[in-house]
Amino acid sequence: MIERELTVSNRLGLHARASARLVQVLSGFRCSATLAAKGREVNAKSIMGVMLLAAGPGTTVLMRVDGEDEAAAMTAVAELFERKFDEDA
Amino acid sequence: MRLGLSGHGASRGSALGCARVRLPHVLEVTEQHVDDVDAELDRLHAAIHVVRGEMRALRKRLHGALTQDVGEFLDLHALLLDDPELLQGLDTLIRSERYSADYALRLQRDRIAAIFTGMDDAYLRSRIDDIDQVIGRLHAALHRREGEVQGVAGEILVTDSIAPTELLQLQSQGVMAVVTAGGSALSHSAILARSLHLPLVVGAPQALLMVNDGDVLVVDGGTGLVVREPDASDLRAHRTRTREYARERRQLNRLRREPSRTVDGVDIKLWANAESREDVAEAHALGAAGIGLYRTEFLFLNSTVLPDEEAQFRAYRDLVLGMTGRTVTIRSLDVGADKADRTGLALVDEPNPALGVRGVRLSLLREGLFETQLRAMVRASGYGPVRILVPMVCCREEMVAARALLKRVIADLRREGHEIAEQVPLGAMIEVPSAAIALPGFIGLTDFLSIGTNDLVQYLLAVDRTNESLGDLYTPLHPAVVRLLHSVISLANKRGKPIAVCGEMAADPMFVPILLALGLGEFSMHPATLLEVRRAIRGCELGSLRARLPAMLRARDRAALTSWLNASS
Repeated sequence: MIERELTVSNRLGLHARASARLVQVLSGFRCSATLAAKGREVNAKSIMGVMLLAAGPGTTVLMRVDGEDEAAAMTAVAELFERKFDEDA
Repeated sequence: MRLGLSGHGASRGSALGCARVRLPHVLEVTEQHVDDVDAELDRLHAAIHVVRGEMRALRKRLHGALTQDVGEFLDLHALLLDDPELLQGLDTLIRSERYSADYALRLQRDRIAAIFTGMDDAYLRSRIDDIDQVIGRLHAALHRREGEVQGVAGEILVTDSIAPTELLQLQSQGVMAVVTAGGSALSHSAILARSLHLPLVVGAPQALLMVNDGDVLVVDGGTGLVVREPDASDLRAHRTRTREYARERRQLNRLRREPSRTVDGVDIKLWANAESREDVAEAHALGAAGIGLYRTEFLFLNSTVLPDEEAQFRAYRDLVLGMTGRTVTIRSLDVGADKADRTGLALVDEPNPALGVRGVRLSLLREGLFETQLRAMVRASGYGPVRILVPMVCCREEMVAARALLKRVIADLRREGHEIAEQVPLGAMIEVPSAAIALPGFIGLTDFLSIGTNDLVQYLLAVDRTNESLGDLYTPLHPAVVRLLHSVISLANKRGKPIAVCGEMAADPMFVPILLALGLGEFSMHPATLLEVRRAIRGCELGSLRARLPAMLRARDRAALTSWLNASS
């Protein structure tokens, strides 16, 4: 299992579009993935879960991935956060 | 008993049919249990499969301007359909409690709604609408027999709101008309309904309360009148209207080969706005003078890498060839942070994209990008007449910079041995109030002008036209708009610069008398409305409109402008 703290730095935060990008990226990996913030943990492969987290701009979230391709998944997710979800970077 | 309800006409046409009422967001399902859990799970998963197929089919049918906005919603809905939380929750409810798939859907919907409605963020809170739409689709699919279309042919749908994607589907199923409680005539759905020729009445909240399934309705998408249980005179009026609309369509079609000439013999130039191959073919067939606005965004937005000079050149060249010698106006890239792309083009986080790095501002910040685009456009001019239009100009300096870059590009291309046109006119979009006011200072730097009324009205009135709660505050019928248009058009005419209006205002036949009175000689609009505008022009007498210009400029409010318009028709 790998854990890493990531900061939501795009303009709107984890709104529908950014959440969709995250779920789409993770759907290519087999490992399980969760996202935790504000005392709540959700399935990061669920668009509803990610939206329900309501992580606004500047929020720090804890990403956990667990499975054989966890390292690659974490890299892909970290890059997505850095690219601000391909949204308004 | 006969009952007349009034809404706003959003798409013309008359329809007679049985009502099908779709109540908002309520799954009227009571607790039900099943014996065969596996069969129930199969039933649910078959429905999910069907809905996935529907969404894919809808996605394929999207084209043109709607692709971006509607596509985004469809993507979100597709993800919800695959959502492990949603699906496993349903499976668990069926497996452990032996609930019917219908009741499981309702329970799951209510659980999710409870969480979403408690959220602070209004935008995310309203995503419950998306979840409702997906669950509603699933529920409908559960009750559809194999191969059966949603049996609504000949019916009139009465609902709280309608999504553009649903309109496409409804029309293919033979629905006659749609009446919505909310909505606006400016929404994407309304625009789509008009291009589909599907009658649509919006803003008729009583309809949901007063109409039941199976009631006979007559709907007039022109006036917005909806009649329940019509009497003999309503039926007669419907028949008359149907004949009128059919005659209108035939007459419109006859106008394909007619000139856009006023009663007193003045020819008005009608350009087409285009962004797809279909638009270009249609523009050509309708006898458009040329392409007045070709948006290049789609080349960038549908791609994850920046299109290079060759890719752009090929697209522009094909466009020019498609118009067989008629002039093509290509607008340089007009993206901002709100029109997010996947190429990483838009620059920085922006709290206010409408006032941020967009249009020519982005092009001038990324000169390599601008130069590549200009090179591709100028190279296309070797195949037919091309004009270049620069969006979001707000000051003289931007035109100076664009001019200088264009000059260099032309010199470079000639030196490299490319065959290009002798003249490649450069124009400015007038859509920022400052450009309209400062125009005397830089009109000499332009070869032509194009007024983007959508943005000009929005920036001038500080009204976001997509914000439905602002209602009809967004309107070109404002003295400030009319006076600003007057000063821009008069100046262009005095200086001999061709000037067109290319926003929605030019596409609405209602505004034709205003624009003609202001001295406008060129209109540019989507091909779908070109014939209606042509017909409106053919009904106007330019001389008398021009004579009444002072009265229009004296108008102090919307009511005065409206009565000026009424006196013109």
